[in-house]
Amino acid sequence: MTDLAFLTVTEASELLRSRKLSPIEYAQALIARIEKHDGALNAFLRFTPDIALEDARRAEAEIMRGGWRGPLHGVPYGLKDIIDYAGLPTTAHSKILADNVAKSDAVVTQKLRAAGAVFMGKLSTHEFAIGGPCFDLPWPPARNPWNRDHFCGGSSSGSGAATAAGFVPFAIGTDTGGSIRNPATMCGVVGMKGTYGLVSRRGVLPLAFSLDHVGPLTRTVRDNARVLEAIAGYDALDPGSANVRTGGVTSQIGSDVRGLRIGVIRHFYTRDMEADPEMIAGIEAAVKVLADLGAEVRETDTAPLAQYAACNRTIMTSEAFAIHEAWMQSRPQDYGSLTRERIMTGAFVRAADYVNATRVRAKLASAFHAQFADIDVAVTASAMDPACRIDDAKAIEYTYGRQARAPFNVTGSPALAVPAGYSKAGLPLGMQLVGKPGSEALLYRVGHAYEQATGWVNKHPAFTKQE
Amino acid sequence: MAHDITLDEVRRMAQDIGLARLTEDHLQQLLRATRTARARRASLPTADLTPADEPAHVFHLDR
Repeated sequence: MTDLAFLTVTEASELLRSRKLSPIEYAQALIARIEKHDGALNAFLRFTPDIALEDARRAEAEIMRGGWRGPLHGVPYGLKDIIDYAGLPTTAHSKILADNVAKSDAVVTQKLRAAGAVFMGKLSTHEFAIGGPCFDLPWPPARNPWNRDHFCGGSSSGSGAATAAGFVPFAIGTDTGGSIRNPATMCGVVGMKGTYGLVSRRGVLPLAFSLDHVGPLTRTVRDNARVLEAIAGYDALDPGSANVRTGGVTSQIGSDVRGLRIGVIRHFYTRDMEADPEMIAGIEAAVKVLADLGAEVRETDTAPLAQYAACNRTIMTSEAFAIHEAWMQSRPQDYGSLTRERIMTGAFVRAADYVNATRVRAKLASAFHAQFADIDVAVTASAMDPACRIDDAKAIEYTYGRQARAPFNVTGSPALAVPAGYSKAGLPLGMQLVGKPGSEALLYRVGHAYEQATGWVNKHPAFTKQE
Repeated sequence: MAHDITLDEVRRMAQDIGLARLTEDHLQQLLRATRTARARRASLPTADLTPADEPAHVFHLDR
């Protein structure tokens, strides 16, 4: 049988459904792998093998008696530790919430429980989804499976690392300024920030209410669509929830891209910021692959990155400080240094500036959505640079804002981070596919076609060769 | 043009909003953070806004 560690969700699901793979054996294999390797990667903040085996036993009993629930039944996963799982602490990787035991499941957790997925544990995050990587927290930061001396992106750092390392076939992350797509790109996996409101945020610790998204990280595009399909859905108790039908995000996978109009937002990574040459080469090669597959490629312009970034950060830090003010008053010393400084950026933002940022947001979003009259999908950079060293504080700070992900938190657009090759040093490169609201199925179609044409999906971190 | 905010000003502003437990290192962080936020303001394209441009207080996409 294929190495269980790198089974895709789709492969595992078929084996589980047809009873060729036992959920218990599958969970045991991944538990053993995590026990062997996670000491070097710190992807898990709270590893829960007992819960995993209990879930796996239940899944096995149900499948054996003909009660297969669907494509995630018996499939292991992990949750970023700002997402509630009843009875376990939701720490946000912070001393401040070390004892914050969740009373109930987040909606996304409820949905995965209902789908019969197997819970492996809580995954590392940058503190409160904003400050990291930090070495002054109660738990160490996650590291990049492609080279553990390097940053694995964030803030859904453990979600990216665990998925890339073959610890789980999927993980759930959150994204306020790029925090699903950054670890996806840094770790060479697929990350989807869907349309704002597509996945309920209820039971997820907020960073910034109006920018927060929940979404999946997986090793393939098809897997990502399957997980998104399971977790998406209207939630009347989430004020930002989108009241739209969510089925069908897998419906276009396998269709070709001939005739699709692809708009390359090149100025983001060549003019507004100059990306690393290897990153540019990776994106341009990907664009050529899409053209070779029959897409009509053209260049498209939008507002400068700096405008989107100022809008995103003004809103994010203002909303975040509102959430954190009481803790900043009573326990400032209990934050990691990086978190404290980033959250403090919102302390003295003028009310007029916050309101104006939301007014600018409406204009930026409206103008960006209008561009999709002329294109079907936009392509642009995710990160400007491959992962830097995790112990190089200056490089971490330098690369923190060198990204083109925050614009799509501002616009609420779906944005899919897809691997786009590797640097000479063996670190992942990546790009984003972006669409109009509700176009997740189309993004998955394009991502899947690209993935099938390139084969990056078959490459895994080298440390696995030690086994 | 606004002057560059000073540590003493930040210290006073912090007291005003109840950030009374900040150490000197924390105040230095708050100073840098406040300067960053003020610099960011210049990148917001507010000159293009008209009085009719409404805020997205609770952002909700129409689809």
